[in-house]
Amino acid sequence: MEPVKISIDGREIATEKGKTVIQAAADAGIAIPHYCYHPKLAIAGNCRMCLVEIEKMPKLQIACNTQAAEGMAVKTQSPKVLEARRAVMEFLLINHPLDCPICDQAGECSLQNYYMKHDLSASRFDERKEHERKREIFGPYVVFDGERCIKCTRCVRFLQEVTRTDELTVVNRGDHSTIALFPGQILDNPLSVNVVDICPVGALTDRDFRFKVRVWYLKKTPSICPGCSTGCNVSVESYQNRIARFKPRVNEEVNSHWLCDEGRYCFHSLTEGERLTAPMIRQEGGLAPTDWDTALQAVIAGLGAALPMAAVLSGRNTNEEAFVFARLIKKLSPRAALEVFYRERTLTEVEKVLKSPDRSPNFRGARDMGVGSENSFEPLMSDLIAGKFRGAYIVGEDLASLADLADLAGDGGKIQAALARLSFLVVQDTRLTPTAKLAHVVLPATHFGEKEGTYTNRRGRVQQLNAAIVPPAGALQDWEIFSRLLAAAGERSLFASPAEIFAALARDIPAYRGLGYENIGECGIQLEAGQP
Amino acid sequence: MEKILLRNIDAPDSRTLAVYRARGGYRALEKVLSEMTPERLIDEIKASGLRGRGGAGFPTGMKWGFVPKDSPKPKYVVCNADESEPGTFKDRLLIEKDPHAIIEGTIISAYAIRSHTAFVYIRGELVFGASVLERAIEEAAAAGFLGKNILNSGYDCDLILHRGAGAYICGEETGLLSSLEGGKGWPKVKPPFPATHGLFGCPTVVNNVETLASLPWIVNEGAARYVAIGTEKSKGTKLFSVSGHIKRPGVYEVDMGYPFKKFLEEDCGGVANGKKLKGVIPGGASMPVLRADELDGVTMDYESFQAAGTLLGSGGVIVMDETTCMVRAAWNIARFFAHESCGQCSPCREGCHWMEKIFQRIEQGEGKPGDLDLILSVSGNIMGNTICPFGDAAAMPAAAFIKKFRAEFDRHIAEKRCTVSAGQ
Repeated sequence: MEPVKISIDGREIATEKGKTVIQAAADAGIAIPHYCYHPKLAIAGNCRMCLVEIEKMPKLQIACNTQAAEGMAVKTQSPKVLEARRAVMEFLLINHPLDCPICDQAGECSLQNYYMKHDLSASRFDERKEHERKREIFGPYVVFDGERCIKCTRCVRFLQEVTRTDELTVVNRGDHSTIALFPGQILDNPLSVNVVDICPVGALTDRDFRFKVRVWYLKKTPSICPGCSTGCNVSVESYQNRIARFKPRVNEEVNSHWLCDEGRYCFHSLTEGERLTAPMIRQEGGLAPTDWDTALQAVIAGLGAALPMAAVLSGRNTNEEAFVFARLIKKLSPRAALEVFYRERTLTEVEKVLKSPDRSPNFRGARDMGVGSENSFEPLMSDLIAGKFRGAYIVGEDLASLADLADLAGDGGKIQAALARLSFLVVQDTRLTPTAKLAHVVLPATHFGEKEGTYTNRRGRVQQLNAAIVPPAGALQDWEIFSRLLAAAGERSLFASPAEIFAALARDIPAYRGLGYENIGECGIQLEAGQP
Repeated sequence: MEKILLRNIDAPDSRTLAVYRARGGYRALEKVLSEMTPERLIDEIKASGLRGRGGAGFPTGMKWGFVPKDSPKPKYVVCNADESEPGTFKDRLLIEKDPHAIIEGTIISAYAIRSHTAFVYIRGELVFGASVLERAIEEAAAAGFLGKNILNSGYDCDLILHRGAGAYICGEETGLLSSLEGGKGWPKVKPPFPATHGLFGCPTVVNNVETLASLPWIVNEGAARYVAIGTEKSKGTKLFSVSGHIKRPGVYEVDMGYPFKKFLEEDCGGVANGKKLKGVIPGGASMPVLRADELDGVTMDYESFQAAGTLLGSGGVIVMDETTCMVRAAWNIARFFAHESCGQCSPCREGCHWMEKIFQRIEQGEGKPGDLDLILSVSGNIMGNTICPFGDAAAMPAAAFIKKFRAEFDRHIAEKRCTVSAGQ
């Protein structure tokens, strides 16, 4: 790209020929207000909010469609520009219902924000407002309010250009223009809820989230989606120690601006339901609560007497947990079969835009830490069913409920029966799953939303997971349980935090050598290619 | 005055190929194909000073010159026959009476930019016109003026007739292209311009019917003769379609620079029924209105109309006599534009309807002090800020009616009724 210099509001900016003024300004930290422009979608130029004055041009120009050229002088704050902006705000609001008190978008609405910044004048519109369709269900997760819509067409363009599923279009003319489903269509593609994220107003809202929390109460924690090994960057948004929603965080190396529907809502199944709040131990008459010391001693003794053993780690466990788990299992039984949960499914073309075929966000990291290897999880299940193990330690996966293991010609019933036959079974999980009910010792742990640490995605990017909410009293972090078991088994070094474990793994694991926990940041670090 | 555009329309069966040929038709095409390179043709049309007759008045030769010669993409020519401007019915006359002149002009235009596929996009309501054109295209193709190896020149050109589905905005060249592509008739954001990224993203020239129909004469008679007609910046002849309170409404061909007052009073016979002239819109409903007292010295050309505060536009002359309620006239026009706004960009989508609602309120006796300034403010906020010229087309007449007839509007608001029209 040819470098050019332009000036914006008198400030000289170095940019590239062909970049638009709105991009060049954004790169330089100058925000030009806009609705229809989106960096990942084709230019529509319809909202007219980004009108700026360009020297030697008689008319105002839209910054989103004006390419930077050497010596171009742009004004974003001239009286003419400010008045045009105010006018566009006025036009967008005359038929708007102004129902912010009952609108889910309130608090993160570009109409509200820009009104406060660029308009702030009383309405001059004294006529009857046009009415439109309200609460129209577009799909399983998306609902439409035609009166709040400003016809920016971001949703239409997303469905044309990103998913290529074309469910929506604009129908009718003039101020009766409205977004509508094509006849016979529903908005149910695997990335459908992204239209809610990119809708700058309250026209498209999330049926799962709406009316649950006012957005200004949300606590936002940058983290990683645990849905699959793509490792989409998310903001985990919680209220009163409950996760209320995921929003995608921009990371051009991973998910760009997007998040799939399955990932977006995976927190429901991963976090909801009655939690385990104390370790449990099998006694006559079933599982009974006990204290941690008793439980951990029972694990060491029980597994030591139940060899050969199998150990299965969840694909949602962090690198730090995998690192300590690998060390623990090798200590307990150097010849134990040690695997990370990993299964694949077939993806559709639209799913492939974002999704990976697995549901194990950290399978690669776990393998890097010495937990398992490629194509070895299902053979381990076969061995389990074949009765090759006497003991097992299962972390965070409800294996007893697994259905249709394709190449095992069996079903969950066989795994369940095999687990029930074990002479000693330890299950570490957040809830009393069907697998946990078969255990001799159950250890209450935490889920992705309660832990910090790192995941390594399918492409080898190490990314930071942060605790959005606090775990219930009585549960322990997985790394802490492993660490205590190591101590109970006679190992002296005890880790005090995921950061300490990361420092240790960055010494021991070649591919991670030299990485610093504090350097991972919000966008992650790519492992060098070629290393495992 | 020599007739260039209307030279054939009074001949019996003027729409047939036989009559058109007997009157010298397709000689220009023969000349172009046998004697002229596309470059020479473009130079000739540039030299003629011909400007686009659709309304914007952009020099035709220059428009052709913007088409890249080395583009590997196909190139297209589109004849814009979507004549929809209220008060404008000049193209319709040519379509119905002299379709071969349009076809010949279109092939000449296609040759100029080395295009091999041309379209006629005709307004959906012109059902008869479409049937005439369709027949004429068949005749021209059968006679070897269209298709492969036209007149043994080695040049190929197909012409496809496409009927619109009824939207004013499809007369805007990029709205037309979107519609022709099979999409909603939404104007495209510019740049890029049609000359490089037009129909299906390929280099495209869109020319108005009247522009294309002028070409055969210019080619036959030479640019020098065309330049001799008209004023310094407005060359040749122009069609005006005259309607409203006028004794002899109809389509007139006028040399550019002809005195406007003389035209109305003598050629058109003056205001009908002995009434006095109140105002006249010279260029179709989207252009600013002139008061009767503003017509002195105005001549019928681009520069004189502009100097008078209006524009030549499409040449749709709408005459209003002293009984016309200007509030009602303004509302009528505002209602048209509110109905026809495509709804794509915010100022036009919202502003046109807003203005219409206020005009309606005033007309119905519910006007308030401040309404007129509000309309002027809203029209000013639309003006120049939209994707396509439609915004200006809606804003200009609204503002002009109020500015030119402010006292009448004020009186209508104050007395909450019309004080002009009989029977109102």
